[in-house]
Amino acid sequence: MVKSEQFLCIGCPIGCPLQLQHKGGKITEVSGHECNRGAKYARQEFTDPRRSLSTTVAISGAKGTRLPVKVTEPVEKDRVTEVVRKIHELDIAAPVRLGQVLIHDLLGEENVNVVACRSMERVGSG
Amino acid sequence: MLDKIRRKYDVVVVGGGPGGMGAALGARDSGAERVLILDREPEVGGILLQCIHSGFGLHYFREELTGPEYAERFLEKVIQDDVDLATNSYVSGIAIDSNGTKQVRVMNEQHGLFTVDTKSVVLSMGCRERTRGSIRIPGTRPSGVLTAGLAQKLVNLEGYLPGKRIAVLGSGDIGLIMARRLTLEGCEVVGVFEIMPYSNGLTRNVVQCLDDFGIPLHLSTMVAYIYGRDRIEKITVAPVEKDFKPDMSRARDVKCDTLLLSIGLIPENELSQSLGIHLDVITGGPRVSSTLETSMPGVFACGNVLHVHDLVDFVTQESILAGQFAAEWSRGIQRPMDNIRLVPGDNVHYCLPHTLSPEREHTIYMRCKEALKPCRIRVGNLMEKKLRFVVPAEMIMFKIKPDLLEKFYGDTLRIDLVPDTQGENDG
Repeated sequence: MVKSEQFLCIGCPIGCPLQLQHKGGKITEVSGHECNRGAKYARQEFTDPRRSLSTTVAISGAKGTRLPVKVTEPVEKDRVTEVVRKIHELDIAAPVRLGQVLIHDLLGEENVNVVACRSMERVGSG
Repeated sequence: MLDKIRRKYDVVVVGGGPGGMGAALGARDSGAERVLILDREPEVGGILLQCIHSGFGLHYFREELTGPEYAERFLEKVIQDDVDLATNSYVSGIAIDSNGTKQVRVMNEQHGLFTVDTKSVVLSMGCRERTRGSIRIPGTRPSGVLTAGLAQKLVNLEGYLPGKRIAVLGSGDIGLIMARRLTLEGCEVVGVFEIMPYSNGLTRNVVQCLDDFGIPLHLSTMVAYIYGRDRIEKITVAPVEKDFKPDMSRARDVKCDTLLLSIGLIPENELSQSLGIHLDVITGGPRVSSTLETSMPGVFACGNVLHVHDLVDFVTQESILAGQFAAEWSRGIQRPMDNIRLVPGDNVHYCLPHTLSPEREHTIYMRCKEALKPCRIRVGNLMEKKLRFVVPAEMIMFKIKPDLLEKFYGDTLRIDLVPDTQGENDG
């Protein structure tokens, strides 16, 4: 049986309403897109939706109390909350450099790291 | 930060956000020897530092960066370029003496109240958020009603959550991004309420910040009342009719302990006004020439203090130019006066700069009033350019070449956005 999924394209501000038909998990048709980006997006959203992810973690010994961090590759959409919880367990001590890897191979995926989004100097004692 | 301050400068930049850093780099690049950035915050970077989400730099760096990463790349350049930085330093006024020297009055902990002399000034104070007072929501005045950007600062820089059960008024991008951010931090976001029949934020943010987390977006809906004595307890929301008046017969109450406001931004021009600089009533920013010079000679403006941008990349581009012109001015290079006025026509909300010169290429920044798809930009009878679509949320940018203006003999050039009837099918 052919099933249908709806997506709202995020490629540009037009925001085309996309329809994707599939049969037993196989895409049979994509429609509603005004350009190829829409078709590509619908396929990606159907087969393997991913989101880029950033948050903050606790840092001590710096001027501020929160360090912005990000995951270097987009994360599976359904695992976003789980991944954020894991990242929040981090407790970093200053100093830290922009791009410094804080978690290697997150989720067991190689080269998917959590990195610092800014440098923070150590202040005060130590 | 370096906090090294001299007595005399070529260019002083007020505000160290992306606009100020871009202007300082542009000024150094164009031969200004001594450049100073003044910022009232403890560190430069401006609002980028609290924008921890990604999406910055796609145009300028050709990669997707978070706000703090974008800021740090520029800070490194600023330090390399020997720009002086003074943070925790508040500019309380600027005086101009008879030979055109600007005396910038600054206050900070280290030096108290003092002045620095400079040949030219770049204003890049950015913008601030509209508050409850701007839209006059009826009700009591409890705590827990705050702007989305303030909540962003509390969460991302200071590590506090503003509440547990959050309602968001207005669908601007900061509001949408905060809805996701607070959800990921464990809050419950009960809904986003938008008075217009469409979202003011990018589709991308509606999908990834609301839909992904099942947060409802209520269009054509307003917050009609705020309840609570000490802390906000609930709000009344009501659908609006065509005249934007609430239909109270269909109103309902929503329990919340926090109401975030994401209802627009205002360029922060108190300093400009104290200088007697002419402002544009539509943009809320200074009126500027094609060199981004305000009505006060030697005072330039760029970034969100000039007009509210949607992408930081465009702020950078514009502010580098402003810095270059400020440096030229400080070196005594005078460009010919602009002799063409640029005015908004059909479906054009505003266009910048306010005047042009046939001498060189110009980048025009503009915004439409209403969405049109497809359409054409018409610049007087000089040029036409096809566009797939225009929407108010997205700034339109295009270039006018000098050879085009050489053939123009009028004094006023009008820009229109007209429907493109032939282009219906050529997406």
